[in-house]
Amino acid sequence: MADHGASKINHDNHLLLDQPLLRLPYELLRKNIRSAHYHIEWDTNAVKDLLKETATNSINQKASKQDVVNNLDQMLARMRGLKRKLSTYAEEENRLYRQSTARVAHLRELSDVHTVEDVKYEAWSRQRLDRLVVDYMLRHGYNKSANALAEERNMLGLVDIDTFVAMSKIRQSLENGSVQEALVWCNENKKELRKMQSKLEFELRCQQYIELNRSSCPKLEAINHAKKHIMPFSKTYPTEVSHIAGLLAYRADTPHEPYASLYSSARWKKLADLFTDAHLKLLGLPQFPLLHIALSSGLSALKTPACHSSQQNQSHQGQKSHKSATPGPGQGEEQESRSHGTASLQTSVCPICSTELNALARNVPYAHHSKSHLLEHDLMLLPNGRVYGKAQLDEYAEKSRLAAGEVKDLVTGEKFREDELKKVFIT
Amino acid sequence: MASEKPKLEALEEEYAKINKLPRLTKAVEHVDKIIELLSAAREQVASAPESHTAITITKLQNPVKSAFEAVNDGLKGAAAANKKMGKALDKSFPLKPLPTDHDAMADHVSLINRAIAMHLLREGQFKVASTFIDEVQSTTKRENPEYLDERMDDGNYDEAASTTSSEAYDLSSLHSQELQESFAGMYYILQELKARNLMPAITWARKNSVELEARGSNLEFELSRLQFVWLFKGPSVNGLPDDENNGQRGALQYARSNFGRFQARHLNEINQLACSMAFAPNIAESPYRQLFAIDTAFSDVASSFTREFCSLLGLSAESPLYLAATAGALALPQLMKYTQKTLAKGTEWTTSNEMAFETPLPESMLYHSIFVCPVSKEQTTDANPPMMIPCGHVLAKETLQKLCKGARFKCPYCPSEGILKDARQIIL
Repeated sequence: MADHGASKINHDNHLLLDQPLLRLPYELLRKNIRSAHYHIEWDTNAVKDLLKETATNSINQKASKQDVVNNLDQMLARMRGLKRKLSTYAEEENRLYRQSTARVAHLRELSDVHTVEDVKYEAWSRQRLDRLVVDYMLRHGYNKSANALAEERNMLGLVDIDTFVAMSKIRQSLENGSVQEALVWCNENKKELRKMQSKLEFELRCQQYIELNRSSCPKLEAINHAKKHIMPFSKTYPTEVSHIAGLLAYRADTPHEPYASLYSSARWKKLADLFTDAHLKLLGLPQFPLLHIALSSGLSALKTPACHSSQQNQSHQGQKSHKSATPGPGQGEEQESRSHGTASLQTSVCPICSTELNALARNVPYAHHSKSHLLEHDLMLLPNGRVYGKAQLDEYAEKSRLAAGEVKDLVTGEKFREDELKKVFIT
Repeated sequence: MASEKPKLEALEEEYAKINKLPRLTKAVEHVDKIIELLSAAREQVASAPESHTAITITKLQNPVKSAFEAVNDGLKGAAAANKKMGKALDKSFPLKPLPTDHDAMADHVSLINRAIAMHLLREGQFKVASTFIDEVQSTTKRENPEYLDERMDDGNYDEAASTTSSEAYDLSSLHSQELQESFAGMYYILQELKARNLMPAITWARKNSVELEARGSNLEFELSRLQFVWLFKGPSVNGLPDDENNGQRGALQYARSNFGRFQARHLNEINQLACSMAFAPNIAESPYRQLFAIDTAFSDVASSFTREFCSLLGLSAESPLYLAATAGALALPQLMKYTQKTLAKGTEWTTSNEMAFETPLPESMLYHSIFVCPVSKEQTTDANPPMMIPCGHVLAKETLQKLCKGARFKCPYCPSEGILKDARQIIL
């Protein structure tokens, strides 16, 4: 349905896809402060304790002058270390604040745009698409492409390459059979993961245990690992822990379930997915690319029954052959089928009918319309069943240099006499 | 009024305030202070006699303690600023969860990749496109070595009869191939147009004149006419060398050698251009001034060139990915409203043929005529096509069948009656 209201931008609801743009730096800031807090606490306590101890010992004459100097040196080293770490966090904080400010300004630009027809909207919306595409590339691990596009479009501040690159590194290490990097990440985000009730750490520990079982025959090491890292989960995941215990009795080539799938290498992919899920959730990011959301909603909104209709396809045959017959030489024989190819005069091809999206749109429902919407007025029916606007037919007849009283079908190229036409009434 | 202020404006102001709050750098300053205190004490202990050690170190306790408190305060300040940011976000940019319980696109990664690659090509991002295609291919190869053989998925593409082979689904076909070359060609022509050089565009239009004419496009003539006007304006405007190929003489010569082919179709326009020669000294006040006002002419021909160029390739003039993403952003609020309400029922909006709710789009985003049967209120489809009855009114086929009493029916909109076999299926 087309009305003028439809081209008005609803500011409260237009930035749904852009929420992560501001949410992510906020979450990253929070994480940054958390890490800073951890280091401050750790080093502060150590230095405080040592200072107190040194003072007591020095008063009780248990420590020599040299001992005191040594201890002070130790404290200084710690504080210098803390300063170095804190400075990086402070830098990161400044960077995130700068980024957030720039992003708010970018989103705010839209406040001045009130309709979709505004040229400023197009520029803004194009940049949004670029952002969505970069997000898509990053989530699929196409990091080089993402970087290239962001650089080319000069919008590195509006996309989160570092976050996703860090994520895909850990993901890749899991896919390559190493849990170490993921465990470090778990440790950094222990509290939050616990709040989310994430299973990730448990699964990683299980994987370590499975690998120990796979490689060593005296399974002492595996048993020790289980005691230390897996037993604490026995109340939370009783079934899994019992399976894990049973694994001791099976070799890696066992056909018996559930042990076979525990030994299976497909488990690494599962871990990688689990990690990605947890990582995205922790940062408040949607589980799949924003472009998917935009596309599934957009394809449906644009799609009409005509886009995949067989009748339309008749008229598209010509276009299809154009595509294969792109400007290359030696395509002379195609000329004939081309000449009556494209649909209507001066109109451009519908985005859903265009090759890029046609197959993709096959899987989505078409838009709901409660009112007829006709692109042309004064409709006339040709004897072959096709309907065109009077003005369209006249214009095409003139451009085709037809004799007076003749019209030509815009799609098929058939010629008819004007008195064969019938008026069509659409109510 | 504060309540009328756009939310993002409010958010921007809020962020500006938060930007002034103390950050972690404060904590770093206090850490520095502790380092100073400790090193001063160390020097003192090292240089003073043994008996002074205890006093120095005891004296150190309190200043260090308060410096540590200051470090902590600095941290708290930074945390408070962060919290303020969260509150500002919640107030002015409240989180609305996206419909992420179902990803209808997840199974079609290869199709999306192809759409992105084509989008990049048509945007003229050839380098990015080729990086992207390489990266996609190496990933697919790594994950599934046999993948490339079976080509892209979605084998149920049922237009095998058309000349599009399954190759179109393979990204490699986009690589260093026709499509890329044609888009590169298009970009070259557009760039030249921007630089006010019409010749490459004219050459292209001449090469494709048969197809353009079939489309009813006057592009070739429009370009040639603009070239005439452009030459006519002379070196002071067009900056071309001042010789016999430029100015009025050049224009006349251009017309002589090029306008012949347009005589049948555009005699009128050519006559006008010829007559304007007589007014050459004072075009601006002549009846022909309209013809010579070319402020927007170059951008106009550029956009009609893009449209024709893409149409001849069977592609839409505007990037479909751009249109779909924009339409998606416009339709998303409706989709979310709907999913929220139906969440409880557990129905999936993507499973039926037609959406259950309207997603209004601006007029410029409608590409097909939509016919909704005025009786059944259903959109017509291949299975239920629009039918015109003898009086000229149009109904959906199913409606017509229900309306029939025997073979006869009465039009719901006018007094006339008809019989079923006189109704004709039409293509709108």
